[in-house]
Amino acid sequence: MFHLFRLPCRLILKYLFSVILLLPVTTFAGSAIDPRESLLDKAEEYTLWEKVEWLNLIHYDKEYAGYVSQVDDDRFFYASDGSHNPRSELLATIENLFVEKEDHNQQTQCRFVARTRWLSEQLDIDNMVLPAVHCDEYLEWRQMVQADSVTMVFPAYHLNSPSSMFGHTLLRLDNSQDSKTDWLSYAVNFGADIDNSDNSLLYAYRGLAGGYPGIFISEPYFKKIQEYNRIEHRDIWEYELNLTAEETERMIQHLWELKTINFDYYFFDENCSYRLLELIEVARPEVELTDEFIVTAIPVDTVRAIDDAKLIESVSYRPARATEIQYILEGISDQQREVVLDLSKDISALDSDAFVRLSPKQQKSTVDLAYKYLRYLNTESSRDPATAKRSHQLLQKLNSYPVEIDISNTVPTPLPPERGHKSKRTSIGLGQRLNNNYAEFGFKMAFHDLEDSKDGFLQGAQINIGSIKVRAEDNVGLRLYQLDFVDIFSLTPKNSFFDPLSWKVYTGFERQLTSNKDQLVYHLSGGAGGTWEIVKNHQFHALAIGRLEINKQLRNLIEPAIGFNTGFLSHFRHTTTHLEFSGEHFEDDIYRLRVQYTQNFVLSTNHSIKLFAKHQWQENDIDFSDINLNYQYYF
Amino acid sequence: MKKIIAGIALLSASSVAMAEAPGGPNCGWGNMLFEGQSGLGAHFIASITNGTSGNNTFGMTTGTNGCSTSGTLTYGGKSMVSSIMGEFSEDVAAGEGDAMDTVAVIYGVEKQDRATFARVMHENFAVIFPNEDVTADEMIASIEEVMKADETLAKYIA
Repeated sequence: MFHLFRLPCRLILKYLFSVILLLPVTTFAGSAIDPRESLLDKAEEYTLWEKVEWLNLIHYDKEYAGYVSQVDDDRFFYASDGSHNPRSELLATIENLFVEKEDHNQQTQCRFVARTRWLSEQLDIDNMVLPAVHCDEYLEWRQMVQADSVTMVFPAYHLNSPSSMFGHTLLRLDNSQDSKTDWLSYAVNFGADIDNSDNSLLYAYRGLAGGYPGIFISEPYFKKIQEYNRIEHRDIWEYELNLTAEETERMIQHLWELKTINFDYYFFDENCSYRLLELIEVARPEVELTDEFIVTAIPVDTVRAIDDAKLIESVSYRPARATEIQYILEGISDQQREVVLDLSKDISALDSDAFVRLSPKQQKSTVDLAYKYLRYLNTESSRDPATAKRSHQLLQKLNSYPVEIDISNTVPTPLPPERGHKSKRTSIGLGQRLNNNYAEFGFKMAFHDLEDSKDGFLQGAQINIGSIKVRAEDNVGLRLYQLDFVDIFSLTPKNSFFDPLSWKVYTGFERQLTSNKDQLVYHLSGGAGGTWEIVKNHQFHALAIGRLEINKQLRNLIEPAIGFNTGFLSHFRHTTTHLEFSGEHFEDDIYRLRVQYTQNFVLSTNHSIKLFAKHQWQENDIDFSDINLNYQYYF
Repeated sequence: MKKIIAGIALLSASSVAMAEAPGGPNCGWGNMLFEGQSGLGAHFIASITNGTSGNNTFGMTTGTNGCSTSGTLTYGGKSMVSSIMGEFSEDVAAGEGDAMDTVAVIYGVEKQDRATFARVMHENFAVIFPNEDVTADEMIASIEEVMKADETLAKYIA
């Protein structure tokens, strides 16, 4: 309707315009031609709304024949159909440039700074024709964000928090003039806007289902260091991008437009990583980063995407406090380790012979380490007067040593996560089970097995989502062998300083031989226990396991079992060995025991050969083996 | 033109309104050294979707925590210093570190004077952190006291 009325109106104006031009009094011209109409005409003429810059600024995604914006917030659109009509949103934005608001901060020029700037450039808008504004809220914020370069930040995996299993990405807006301002740089994070009253289960569900709106949050980077490095014990990778000051400016202006604006939040695809790539596209319109993220946007793949687009200038590594403590502990003697432990418990250890005998340098590093360890232990507890006092005493002691005694330790930079094997995996192999030959085809959506090359990954952290194995068997034909939904196995070693829980959660369909019937069963297994490092890269683990199985051959519809899982996991330079002994005893009184051996040979980053052998004993059934050899390709 | 003048007037009016004494009664940065993490449950929940709760989601720190930020301070000012109190105490004891640099930047200390800043802070550990119950307000007052007493650093405390 609106457009129908406007068209004749503009024709009249054009006519008027030509008449006025004939008049000698030029001062009338400014007031008589409606500059708004001429801008609208120009926009139509250029079909500006088809430009990638505009599509990026409004976050349009192509869907079937048309476009749909990812923004789920009326405040972001001027046109009533703006969320799916790039043309009407562009024209409405131009119209609104001329609408004066009592509060300048609500004026289009102040609310949508990046849009306004882009339109001004494209249409060559003379600022004098627009209402004069002073955007004090924007200017105040812009003053605080003293940035001219951008860094992508990737806090790496941390298994004991479900959210972080795949890592996370955020952007940091940096001041390239002064490298000491990192901590104060603004970190831009896309996450869910949480209603505090929800309990965590409902929360997790809503997070996955998209029940929470996602918003951009910007806060000083030191809060992220505190959160990831210190509270969650995650190493942080920082990728400085080669965006220019001008491209950075465009991103900052666009961020302002997104202040408090809601997006739909989906954990798996339109998550933190996807949104950040969109921001980079706004900054540099000629790169296309979001197209390949169709099903899942795993944060490390975001890093790969920016790497492929040649956006990375340099990489730096900021180890977690816990990583640093662990590293220093590995380099000192047993006696010194003992003193560190004593000192963290009792300040009077400063007077002990063991401490006094140390050299000044060793003393200083012992005190420093004891302090760091004590703070680490108290990361998650509230203030305790005795601990606070001891912490302060340790700092006093640390302060008493000269600065010249250098105890700094730089944790060596491991292989960055994007250089590890890729997230998806496919495999093909041959084997024999129950004396029957088969060919096997496997596919996995994500992400990492204990036996895969650990380079670029957290050691002892198996996270698999969506894994399927199909076998073509002699005398049987093609059939599903295994379908895992979730398979997490976390093995972090315990020692006198660290006491992490090892745990397992595993659910899906698998083939089991029960009462002479070989059929698919559904199971949910989980357990907890410990892992101990014998020597570096060689570990022993033992877990108690609980299992529920849906198997027609068992007494109950859902048959419970208790069991165990123990094993050795050894990482060598180009191969990994995993030997497991496990079993379960069902309420139905039958038991299963198995020995399993896996050897993975790494050919190159994304290629490996895996040998697997299993022998299983069970009540009322024959014992049998399953042996196979697979070629695995990560992509 | 009128609008621009009105805008400027508005801006300065709000600056006046914000000029409450640092560490005033409504100021939110009175935390204590070695304070624990409160609400870790909430933190865990938030971490699932990398989310946030709370209203300060866009870094508009000035004026949001009931404090003024002194004109000479950059990057949002003293609430920042108090937020990294624990890390800063550690760096003062050791004589160097990221938190030390950060506080120097917040106080606008130029690059050439940052080594002096680190040395002066280190030498005055006992003044700035006299005991484990020192609060952020007391710490900030001592930092400024110590800076004023140093001929190189005095100029950063107007």
